[in-house]
Amino acid sequence: MTAHLHDDGYDARPFAVGLWRKLFRYTAPYRREITGLVLLAIATAAIDALFPLVTRGLIDDAVARGLDAAFLQYGIAYLGLMAALSLLVWHFIRLAGRIRTHVSHDIRRDGFAHLQRLSFSFYDQRPIGWLMARMTSDCERLSNVMAWGVLDVFWGVTVMAGIAVVLLVLDLRLALVVLAVVPVLLWISAVFQRRILKSARRVRRTNSRLTASYNEAIVGVRTTKVFVRQADNLREFRDLTSEMYTASVHNALQSALLLPVILTLGSVSTGLVLVIGGFDVTRGAVSLGTLIAFLTYVRFFFEPVQQLGRWFGEIQMASASAERIMELIETVPRIRDSDGVRARLTAASAAPVAGQAEDGMPDEIGTITFVQVGFAYEGGGVVLNDFNLSVSAGETIALVGPTGGGKSTIVSLLCRFYEPTTGEIRIDGVDYRERGLHWLQSNLGVVLQTPHLFSGTVADNIRYGRLDATDEEVCAAAETVGAHPFVEQMERGYQSEVGEGGILLSTGEKQLIAFARAILARPRILVMDEATSSIDTRTEQAIQGALGHVLRGRTSFVIAHRLSTVRAADRILVIDEGRSVEEGSHVELMRARGRYAALYAQQSLRASSRILGRGETGAGQPTTD
Amino acid sequence: MHLKEQQTLWDLTQNHRVRYTAAIASMGVSNVFLFGVPLVSRYAIDEVATGRPVPWLAAVAIVCLTASAGIFQYLRGRWAALASEGIARAIRDRLFGHLQCLPAAYHDRSGTGDLVQRCSSDVETVRVFLSGQVVEIGRSTLLFLMVVPVLLWMDVALTLVSICLFPIIFLFAVAFFRRIQHLFLRSDEAEGAMTTVLQENLTGMRVVRAFARQEFECEKFAVKNAAFRDRTDQLIRFLAAYWATSDLLCLAQLVLLLLVGTWWMASGDLSVGTLFAFQLLVNFVLWPVRHLGRVLTDTGKAMVSLRRIREVLDVPEELTPRATPAGPERLDGRIDVRDLSFGFEPGRPVLSEVSFSVQPGETLALVGPPGSGKSVLVHLLLRLYDYEHGSIRLDGHELSTLARDFVRRRIGVVLQEPFLFSKTLAANIRVGHGDAHWDQLVESSQDAGIHATIEGFDHGYETLVGERGVTLSGGQRQRIAIAQVLLKNPDVLVLDDALSAVDTHMEPRILEALQRRRGRQTTIVIAHRLSTITHAERILVLDRGRIVQTGTHTELAEQQGPYRQLWRIQGVLERELQQDMGPAAAGPGR
Repeated sequence: MTAHLHDDGYDARPFAVGLWRKLFRYTAPYRREITGLVLLAIATAAIDALFPLVTRGLIDDAVARGLDAAFLQYGIAYLGLMAALSLLVWHFIRLAGRIRTHVSHDIRRDGFAHLQRLSFSFYDQRPIGWLMARMTSDCERLSNVMAWGVLDVFWGVTVMAGIAVVLLVLDLRLALVVLAVVPVLLWISAVFQRRILKSARRVRRTNSRLTASYNEAIVGVRTTKVFVRQADNLREFRDLTSEMYTASVHNALQSALLLPVILTLGSVSTGLVLVIGGFDVTRGAVSLGTLIAFLTYVRFFFEPVQQLGRWFGEIQMASASAERIMELIETVPRIRDSDGVRARLTAASAAPVAGQAEDGMPDEIGTITFVQVGFAYEGGGVVLNDFNLSVSAGETIALVGPTGGGKSTIVSLLCRFYEPTTGEIRIDGVDYRERGLHWLQSNLGVVLQTPHLFSGTVADNIRYGRLDATDEEVCAAAETVGAHPFVEQMERGYQSEVGEGGILLSTGEKQLIAFARAILARPRILVMDEATSSIDTRTEQAIQGALGHVLRGRTSFVIAHRLSTVRAADRILVIDEGRSVEEGSHVELMRARGRYAALYAQQSLRASSRILGRGETGAGQPTTD
Repeated sequence: MHLKEQQTLWDLTQNHRVRYTAAIASMGVSNVFLFGVPLVSRYAIDEVATGRPVPWLAAVAIVCLTASAGIFQYLRGRWAALASEGIARAIRDRLFGHLQCLPAAYHDRSGTGDLVQRCSSDVETVRVFLSGQVVEIGRSTLLFLMVVPVLLWMDVALTLVSICLFPIIFLFAVAFFRRIQHLFLRSDEAEGAMTTVLQENLTGMRVVRAFARQEFECEKFAVKNAAFRDRTDQLIRFLAAYWATSDLLCLAQLVLLLLVGTWWMASGDLSVGTLFAFQLLVNFVLWPVRHLGRVLTDTGKAMVSLRRIREVLDVPEELTPRATPAGPERLDGRIDVRDLSFGFEPGRPVLSEVSFSVQPGETLALVGPPGSGKSVLVHLLLRLYDYEHGSIRLDGHELSTLARDFVRRRIGVVLQEPFLFSKTLAANIRVGHGDAHWDQLVESSQDAGIHATIEGFDHGYETLVGERGVTLSGGQRQRIAIAQVLLKNPDVLVLDDALSAVDTHMEPRILEALQRRRGRQTTIVIAHRLSTITHAERILVLDRGRIVQTGTHTELAEQQGPYRQLWRIQGVLERELQQDMGPAAAGPGR
């Protein structure tokens, strides 16, 4: 209603009507409750307006006729109004509460679902704490305003309108005196609104940063401890809380000023009514009861204004929340199915054909081709440059090379976590952007460098790879990767809890479970990014055979530093500075004695001993009995 | 009823009580002005009732009284804001400082999402409580205490009539909120559970995508989200019943006043003006007292939040022995471990009676399968966990008698999964040595083999690291962590599988740099690659928390045992490698 007041451009994002309209779409499923709420609000306002009328009658009767039988009637009238009012209030709150909790639930549901679709480039730029604040405190604030705020505002407007009508009917002149204040009130509220909105934004922003700081402090607590950073971190945090203090106090002061101003304006009306009405009573133009009713009404009239004033502040706070949530929900995922793909998805789901994938194309993955693929992170340098590779079905490709050379980027692109900035990746000759994203990713099994487990049991985590796997299959997958022995040793075996993020397990154990999870998924493409780096040699040796079995006949991409893992690959690519500098089988590359051979010569024991300047250790030649 | 919480609250308000007193005082002054309004009205109406016009002065008086009340209301808001925001800041700072000083074992057990929620939304609840409810409670009490004498002065009998239901209204509120306290708790727990799912989902987003488990995640979240919704909804249904009932009681009180008042007025015992003033004044008090119900709602919430905050604050921080021996400036780096046993739960030892010594300047390697206790040993050494059985001596001082900060300053560690702060790369490398010179910084980065990579970024050392170093690879993170430690230049260096993600091409270079810088530094290395281990002076083989083998590489390679097995596996590889390189390998280099 005040959007036009914000076109002076003091803020790039004015109080947006469009924003709220979009948000109020969330109340659509609760149309019945909303209608009920509106009706209840009108009824409540009507009863609120009736009370002083009954009182007026009572006083006028008492003054005019003294005590009589009518007294009882007034008592009954009061009782009726009281009962009606409390019943209304009961349902009122119930409905508003229902809308509040449900709307907040729905916004969060959509926000969560959307977060599952957003691209990694989105996550790279936003701390998790920031996202958490959007989904928790902002959602609550918003739904609070959308239920209680709307309720109070609607009730307030109804009461004010109702009282205005009653006043006009009772005495036109006195009524106009009271109503003259209304435009002034609205203007002042609008001025305050702008200021409060601005400082509210600052409070929200700072709050997000606070939450992110807490998150970082908790996740990174070990690093803090081992570097004795506590004092430094606290000092930095104090700067942040000081800013929060300043911003919040500023915001609170503005709100504290609004109410007294409204009250004082209200008292002008009271004073005028008292004096002017007083004259009228002495002249006999109005009754004493009417004057008292008028005075009561004036107070009732300004009570909602106070409520409205309070909600102004809240709505503005929520406006800042709304912007952030809508920004989250409306961010278009950088990576998603194109319109063409979506059309085919719809068509294929309507008429599924055997052997066809959900996107209406053949459900198989044969040759994967990287054609002149280039990639750069947003705001970062070029990571991959003119990269070409063709992988036939069932081939195992190992990627080796220095850290930061682009190995992880290649598999991230393959998984379509990111898309090439130039060139394309083709599956059987079709650009993978023409295939369904879900189809591609559900054909992947990925074991990442930093294994991430979810809180729950060991079995739950392995089963994440294939949700309908039986206990036996889960067990078999664990045995394949050599996780079975240590799982069995745990107190409750496969039903042992792993803790949040798998904190109760060591990194090596987490890697094994992540590996079992990927194997259980029976993926067409297996991607292993440093998947066994924290597994000890003996365990790794034990799973080598299994690994060979898993990799056989399955297109696989393996990033590893360990020779044992790499040499079994059909083809090895040495990646450096975003390019493939060598390519071939292990034997070919060793014989070529280029980068790859140098890499592994260095890894060999004698070489490393030599480099460390310790000479022959006496056991340089390993025994191989 | 919440004695401890109230004690906590009292402690928290410590430095802000003057402001609170000022806020309450200005509230009182504001009330005095506000009470003037009904009294002026009473006078005016009585004048009117006797046929005299109301002087303009009455109107002016009403406006002036309200404006004065307004000024003091503003002051009340101002001081209450200063006090409550000040307290909120103090709580935030205290929590942050405390969290960092809690034992690592505590952090292992508690969920990040839950802790963050306690620090953010629980603090927010307390803040709202302090800025709104505390003042509101004060206001209601003060109003009641100020209104009743005025009422008594006007008419004693009518006063008794007009406040007779107050005790019921108040006691009903108290009884009700006591009954539903647990519902608030349940709602909060549901919120915590939901937050945890969200947090894990966001942290593990790559895994979710890699298995195309978006739908599964949505369902998992839906369950928690719905549970939170339903529990809160249930709570509000109870509240609705409360508010309706208390409204009924309040209205009954007002109606009672009106009926009795009018009766007495009709029989000539009371003036109209007095009745009007009574009605106004009772209205002043009645709604705040009823509102006390709603305020108490949030008080219940705030008490729960306070308890949750207190639960965190009550966890003892890592103990720092008071009588810390001054300790040497630097350590020689001699470590003696005797009969060390450790476990997180009774009956499930992670380490059992481990004994070994490391001489100053010696390099010790720890090998063993996952879960064999290697990392725990390192954590004990860093005093991240506290041992109870056995002893660890550092230069002959029992570790538990040394200040943690001292120990950690002198021991440098590269953790298995290094964590980087959301700061610039330079700030991250400087993390252990804030005032390090730029040249030292660059030198450390060079030795850690990360300098060239950093220089390759657009902003070089000023490049910001994402929350968990998202845009850096695991190897890059590990190398930055190594640069951190090199810059710190500790007396004892611990590498906890610190090179696992560093490629083999880079590894020897880093090892060499470490070796070169080492001097008389004692080094403990945990690794799986034998190439990283063989150069150690001594190797400990751990299995299930016990030392199963000790010796030099040469000794161990000749004994029957797990190490030999390890060695043989790598040896086979080694020999095959030689074969793979073919005859040319024997010839002169290219």
